[in-house]
Amino acid sequence: MKLGLDEYAELSSPMHHWEQRSKVVAIVTLMFAFAFVNDIILLPVMLLVTAVLYALSRLPLSFLLTRLRYPGLFILAMIVLILFASTGNTVLAQVGPLSITREGVETVALIAARFFCIITVSLILFGTAPFLTSIKAMRSLGLPDVMVDMSLLSYRYLEEFGKTRHTMQNAMQLRGFESNRFSFHTLQVLSGLVGSLLIRSYDRSERVNHAMRMRGYGQSQLSHIHHQEDFALDICEANRTSQILFWSVLGAATILVAVSIFL
Amino acid sequence: MHIPDGFVSPGVSIAGYAVTAGATWYALRRIDKDRNPQAKIPKAALMTAAFFVVNLIHIPIPPSSIHLVLNGLMGAILGFYALPAIVIALFFQAIIFQHGGITTLGINAVIMGLPALLAYGIFELRHRFNFDEQTRTKLFGFLSGASGVMVSAALFSGIVIAAIPADISAQTERRATLFALALYTIPAVVEGIATLMVASFLDRVKPELLESHY
Repeated sequence: MKLGLDEYAELSSPMHHWEQRSKVVAIVTLMFAFAFVNDIILLPVMLLVTAVLYALSRLPLSFLLTRLRYPGLFILAMIVLILFASTGNTVLAQVGPLSITREGVETVALIAARFFCIITVSLILFGTAPFLTSIKAMRSLGLPDVMVDMSLLSYRYLEEFGKTRHTMQNAMQLRGFESNRFSFHTLQVLSGLVGSLLIRSYDRSERVNHAMRMRGYGQSQLSHIHHQEDFALDICEANRTSQILFWSVLGAATILVAVSIFL
Repeated sequence: MHIPDGFVSPGVSIAGYAVTAGATWYALRRIDKDRNPQAKIPKAALMTAAFFVVNLIHIPIPPSSIHLVLNGLMGAILGFYALPAIVIALFFQAIIFQHGGITTLGINAVIMGLPALLAYGIFELRHRFNFDEQTRTKLFGFLSGASGVMVSAALFSGIVIAAIPADISAQTERRATLFALALYTIPAVVEGIATLMVASFLDRVKPELLESHY
């Protein structure tokens, strides 16, 4: 399991130079503004904003395409379903007993565009900074310490446990286990795999826990000190790129929401 | 069983965040009441990673395969930690696999997390019955696993069908909901059996994992 979430975090671009804390605020606002878009007229605006942000981030197009492949299939299935299930007055095409209406096409275009734009900007948000910085930014925005500590630790061990699972499944196959037929035996063997993985992780967590406590984790209030100096306390103190991008993205989000409400 | 970005109206997304924030706040308060909450964080965190990985194991059901949802088992093992664990796992799924989404994280956490807490409640009920331990673990393991998936499926189908902003007639909506629920009974039973097997495996090999009361 290769995470590769922040493999392009070290590039140099205006989006990379944008300080992460205000980036989280602005981009998340923009995502919700995109979710607000409910009129087909605003689609080009939404796509344009997304395209400009992606171009500014200098992330390679392949990064976006590979990440869209898996959810794209699911979206396609949902879209076909909604296309035929929705009713409307203007029938555009008739396939047997099913009809495609103009309203159906509009709904589908809106859903697909919103989905595409929100996913793209979320990739920009988390792809242009190391994951650790993103989590630190969220902590300084008020994410509870328990959640911060748990996210960082589980992120640290995701890849590790992924490898363990891979090795164990390989070993099972080498010993002749066929996992392509359903039977109680298969389910029992796979449950054994699940159980063993959980026990291994649990044992590991005991050792990690001891190691962390030996180093003082949970003894002092140290972990509660918010390292706000990592980020500008106020957007006015941030660098120029951050200020320009922050206000432009927030502006775009506000305009989108305002126009959506008026339309 | 995750709602992707852009599918539901922002009102639904925001309501999802509100419910998740409230429930997580309650869970964190319960965790804080623990004698030594910080000592358990590393354990809960590593178990979150483990569950995330286990989630990728596929169970063959020809012609396709399903993967275990595991929210019932997470509830049974992690207790109140299951809610923050599920929020974190969903966050990772959204940003690593683009499965689910950031705007819909709240509503997805409601769909997965609340049934996990219910499953925890069901699994804890086993202490009230005094027949032999293995049978008890198996029975309540099955119930918590199956109910975790079934309640999630009901929430998911209900929200998707009601919240998708398309003009779908009420009758079609009702039929679709019933059809989806009928379809989910098979994975729910498989999940129940798998949870039963894992719970009984853990009971034999490492009972402290089931008793650790996170």
